[in-house]
Amino acid sequence: MATDNQNKSSYRVYLFVFFSVLLLLMTLWIVWDDEFGLRPWKKYQKEFKSLKHEQLQKEYDKAQSDFRKSGDAQTLARLEAQLKKAKDLFNSSEVQQKYKKLSGQWADVHESAARNQKELQTNRGQYLETEYYFTKTQKPEYKKKMDELQKRIDAITAKGAAMQKQEEALKAALVPFTSGIADIEAEIEKMKSPLEEKKERIGTSDKVPVEIKQVYIRDIDLADRCQSCHIGIDGSKQISTKQPFTRHPASFVFLKNHDPEKFGCTFCHRGQGRATTSVQKAHGNVKHWEEPMLEGDMTQTSCLKCHGDVKHLRGAEYIAQSTELIKKYGCYSCHKIPGYDSIGDVGPVLTEVGTKVNYSWAINWLLDPKNYFATARMPKFFFTQDEAESIADYLFSMSGTTRHDVDYSTETPDEKLVEQGKTLWSQARCNLCHITNGKGGNNVKVYAPDLSKVGSKVNKEWLFRWIKNPNAYFPGTKMPRFRFTDEEIKALVEYIVSEYTDDEASPKYTTPVEIKSESIKKGKDLIVKYGCYGCHKLQGMESMGQIAPSLVSQGVTFLKADEMREKIGTELSSIGSKPVDMLDFGKLKKSISNDRLSYIKQKLRDPRGYRLGLRMPNFRLTESEINGLAAVLYGYTDNNVPSRFMVPSRQELDKMAGVQSYKFTGDFAKIIEDVKCTNCHSIKGIGADYAPDLSLAGSKLQESWIRKFLANPDVIRPLLQQMPKLGLTGGAAPAKITMPKFNLGIQKVEDTNRSDVDVIINYFQQELVTTDIPKEIPVITTLTPEDQIAKGKELYDQKGCRSCHQVGTDGGALGPNLSNVGNRLNPGFIFRHLENARKFKPDIVEPNYGFSERERIYLTNYLMTLKLNAK
Amino acid sequence: MNPFIEIITQPDNIAIVIMIMLVTFFTLWAFQQALDNDKLIAAGKPVDGENEGLVDTFKPLVRIELIIALAVMVFLTFWSIVVDAPLEEIANPTLTPNPAKAPWYFLGLQELLVYFDPWLAGVVLPTLIIVGLIAIPYIDINPRGNGYYSFEERKFAIVTFSFGFFILWLLLIVIGVFFRGPGWLWYWPWQEWDHARVVFEPTRDLSNVIGIDSRSLPGFIIGAILVNGYLVAGMVAPYKYLKKKMPDFLKQFGMIRYLVTTFLFITMMSIPIKMVLRLVFLIKYIWITPWFNV
Amino acid sequence: MNNPTDIKERIKKNLVWKSIFRRDYRNTVRDRAQAIFGNIFLHLHPVQVREGAVKLRFTWGMGGITFFAFIILVITGVVLMFYYHPSIEQAYSDIKDLEFQVPFGVILRNLHRWGAHFMVIVVMIHMFRVFMTGSYKAPRQFNWGIGVILLVLTFLLSFTGYLTPWDQLGFWAITVGTNMGAATPLLGYQGPFSEFLHITPFNDVRFALLGGSRVAGNALLRAYIWHCVAIPLVSVILMFVHFWRVRKDGGISKPQK
Repeated sequence: MATDNQNKSSYRVYLFVFFSVLLLLMTLWIVWDDEFGLRPWKKYQKEFKSLKHEQLQKEYDKAQSDFRKSGDAQTLARLEAQLKKAKDLFNSSEVQQKYKKLSGQWADVHESAARNQKELQTNRGQYLETEYYFTKTQKPEYKKKMDELQKRIDAITAKGAAMQKQEEALKAALVPFTSGIADIEAEIEKMKSPLEEKKERIGTSDKVPVEIKQVYIRDIDLADRCQSCHIGIDGSKQISTKQPFTRHPASFVFLKNHDPEKFGCTFCHRGQGRATTSVQKAHGNVKHWEEPMLEGDMTQTSCLKCHGDVKHLRGAEYIAQSTELIKKYGCYSCHKIPGYDSIGDVGPVLTEVGTKVNYSWAINWLLDPKNYFATARMPKFFFTQDEAESIADYLFSMSGTTRHDVDYSTETPDEKLVEQGKTLWSQARCNLCHITNGKGGNNVKVYAPDLSKVGSKVNKEWLFRWIKNPNAYFPGTKMPRFRFTDEEIKALVEYIVSEYTDDEASPKYTTPVEIKSESIKKGKDLIVKYGCYGCHKLQGMESMGQIAPSLVSQGVTFLKADEMREKIGTELSSIGSKPVDMLDFGKLKKSISNDRLSYIKQKLRDPRGYRLGLRMPNFRLTESEINGLAAVLYGYTDNNVPSRFMVPSRQELDKMAGVQSYKFTGDFAKIIEDVKCTNCHSIKGIGADYAPDLSLAGSKLQESWIRKFLANPDVIRPLLQQMPKLGLTGGAAPAKITMPKFNLGIQKVEDTNRSDVDVIINYFQQELVTTDIPKEIPVITTLTPEDQIAKGKELYDQKGCRSCHQVGTDGGALGPNLSNVGNRLNPGFIFRHLENARKFKPDIVEPNYGFSERERIYLTNYLMTLKLNAK
Repeated sequence: MNPFIEIITQPDNIAIVIMIMLVTFFTLWAFQQALDNDKLIAAGKPVDGENEGLVDTFKPLVRIELIIALAVMVFLTFWSIVVDAPLEEIANPTLTPNPAKAPWYFLGLQELLVYFDPWLAGVVLPTLIIVGLIAIPYIDINPRGNGYYSFEERKFAIVTFSFGFFILWLLLIVIGVFFRGPGWLWYWPWQEWDHARVVFEPTRDLSNVIGIDSRSLPGFIIGAILVNGYLVAGMVAPYKYLKKKMPDFLKQFGMIRYLVTTFLFITMMSIPIKMVLRLVFLIKYIWITPWFNV
Repeated sequence: MNNPTDIKERIKKNLVWKSIFRRDYRNTVRDRAQAIFGNIFLHLHPVQVREGAVKLRFTWGMGGITFFAFIILVITGVVLMFYYHPSIEQAYSDIKDLEFQVPFGVILRNLHRWGAHFMVIVVMIHMFRVFMTGSYKAPRQFNWGIGVILLVLTFLLSFTGYLTPWDQLGFWAITVGTNMGAATPLLGYQGPFSEFLHITPFNDVRFALLGGSRVAGNALLRAYIWHCVAIPLVSVILMFVHFWRVRKDGGISKPQK
């Protein structure tokens, strides 16, 4: 029994030892994990420190060798020798004897002066005491004592003054003994200190503790420990280009305006700022963390969090440019997107489309808009032939009862009319916006259809109506009303139809065919289903029934307002923070990465790819457009950003300040609406920046010149204004910018007797002016005008103005041609412009030469003589 | 990844894998010892441990306790180093995960929700389970099999308990963890979870099968008869049987004990019955009343 | 002096040693008994036990392991409480920081989590063993009942702890779990007959559990208090009763001669 127990207990001891050892190992494992395994930032910080040490050491070494090379070392050695010599001299017994004697004297005087001072204080105290008693008792003895004391005080003061003088003299006598040494020492210190400082910096950087670096912002509960690894991100110098040690790129824009101590890192970059245990976790590329880190241009998506307007924001160029895509494709027509509310203005009004286009064309277009022209903006809906016909039937039934085509390809055009039309076409600069056969369309700010095949699309009657008054057919169109006469329009129509007809188009319905009512019904359902009314105005259709009563009686009613839902697509206002679980990856769940960004991109690439029954059409976006749009959408989050971070846009600021946004008034507003000046020009913040800003046109331009120019627009700038300053034009020669001839001045503005040119000039002079630009420039009386002009010309040549500006045939082509500037600009404008060109145009390339007022007067006077009077 | 491996390697589910392994191991061990003892009893020999003596607590017992503590500590530490506790996204009341699963030890109850209304599955049945478990010592009056593993001596007790423990508790947990996907639908381990999957939901009730609206009065009466009939028959039939075959036992057992036992037993058996009705015959309710449905 | 036995003797004669251990241990019957009843922790045990109690194959050590798991959970739990705020603003970040910031935070949380799972598993196996050996039979009926309640408390401990990280997993597990409370007959607003008592979502059982009509800050605080204070307290008391009764009912149940 005993032995049995003994055996058993011994094997239990082994078990005990075995498990104890295991537990010990586990404990060691835990400690190792906690010290190293889970703390990768320690390694990084140490590496960074050694890199920094290396760099500082190098700097120090270099400074040292420079010091040696530059001859400073010799100077130093010489100074040190001098110092030694001076010290030796000072220490020599002879000098020392004198020095000691003098300093002994000084010490004696100093001591007695101190004693004297003490005595003075004692006496003064007594005096005050006596004075107190005297005022209290008015006894004469006190008065007597006071006088006595006063005498004594005076004596002591005099003695003190003498002593002080003596002391100072002695001290001054002492100075020459040591001053030489002190000077040399200061010199040496001055030479050595930059080196010492460098050496000290090595020491301080070595002493920086290895620890978690954290930024904590309480109100948004942000704790970013990114800098524990990215230790050099905010440094003043690049220590290494290797990650994670680099500095923040363009930190003079990003970090300077967004202090990491106040914004952290994840505020813009997302990722999991708290994580310190692995790169994947910190960068948020792990399960259960839905905000992966943003890099590169993609980070600009975060600008949208706070900046109400990214249009002219430095560092936000990518997102600003991508935001334009939202407008271009009209995403807001179907989706709710913050800041975009309008509905139904991307595509043209379709109410009377049956009177405009060929039925065969409409089918072709509905099947795939890019069949008609490659830059078509309308997306592909993947309609079947049958569906396309139903939709076309519905649209045509709003203004008629038949499917009908016209075919001009067999007609012989009137050559004379065509020739006249061609001249008008080029005078009106139609190609500025419209592309024909691959040419034109320079004003990319305006989307205008490619007209290469328009003769197979529309009929002449409609085209006539359209050119005569575009607003009548499509209120709010970008197309200007040119002041053509009816004859001119006829010629233009003839030219367009004969020149731009697709010979391959095969109209099927040259003999009209009656539309079937079932088809209309089906078409209506499809329109409701796919939400065509999102981009095209289809409202007020109930009344259209009157045009085609026969169809209504067959039981078809047109779209009613309540059938048009507000927005057909998903709301996008917080798509950038939508939980991934709410995104339906459908059949692509396994084949693409299950994160929000991949979802958005894939949706844009193939909108109906996730599952059957999706309705979003395909815009055939390029990969870079997809990335851009995804970046914008990703920026729409519902994160509550505290108001102190918000940077409202100008409009928002104006709204807050109660400032009304600018509105054109009176007849000028009518002209703007008619001629669409703001398609190209920007006026008081409204409009595009394709042509010069006219906000100050009244101060800038001479009336006579405006009149002439409007009557007959000519080239001002030979180069594209928007040409990127450093970019390439892609091989195509920059086209000349010329304003279309609108034939202004021929007609009177409705209900008034004024010509529209008068209205424009009047408005310019009343509204588009600033007191900042004087009417006249200061006059110099000391020089004759001729001399002033000569001096101005001298300056013009001297400063190299001709390298950019052209006068006559001489000069460069970057700036505006100045041959006729004397007729064009007001002298006051030139005068102010020369002072600071950026004041009126912030992004101008013209350098600031820092002219004096006189020089500006000379130059202005010279420039005002440049006139082309022959014209 | 293979969906099965994906489910199994979820940190929380590793616990269930460990549970399955441990339970299997100890069940086999228990039944092996029970059968060994049964053989000894059949041979008229003393069972394991019957003739054993006493030992000092210090040190044999203390030592073994220490070793087990060490072993458990090693095991838990290893588990904790190798597997990290899960932490999902921050709670979001607007985003319901599909499926939303209870902690694994309650998945048996969640599974019952498929077959019973919440007031039964979530409240009444759990209460009865607790009450029933506490009542076991008072209704099991069999004096044998106390202090040793045996099967022959207490067949009824062990079979009933095992049914409840393995089938109604552990098996339902395993089903809940490994076989239930979005919408609490059944997924085999090799099947992909499909959030858009829709499966025919039986809405018919028992009386609808024979053509009577379950919400009408006749339906109500039929349901009431069936449910109450089940209760009454479940209590009366064994009584008759025992009275005939084992009158002595019944007398010794006593009326109250008999009633409690049969009530608990037929309640337990109602679970598999309801499961069969639901899964095989696609019947949702047996008895519909204005206040509750069974 | 250099002899190890000498050193041992010296240590044993030391005042401090004596104050702690009182007397020398000489492996006599008396001393072995003294070792048990002279120690507050060990004296839960009797001085002598049945041989079978020492053998793993009978008890599997499951009851002891459960208690040990509980001790681990209490220790890790107390340390975790140092780093945790039961508020919905902070709870989640606190748990994140356990991993990223707190020394040994990862292992601490993992031990607590897996220890909890482990305890649930072990306590179930313990019950299974006790049933299989018929150990609930007279005179241990009452202690079985205590055991069942302890099992339920173990589940509840684990369940309330589920919510504390305030993540999706815990939040929805608690939502699903407490929604059952709403179905309680008479006392839950979705339960049968509750309309007779004028029960609404704002005065029913679920409201009492959550401290509100939905899982929110109050629910987190309640779960935390239940988890860290109330249930452990009740559990410890019942555990004392459980152990006391094991001892008083004759130790480990063994076949009677």
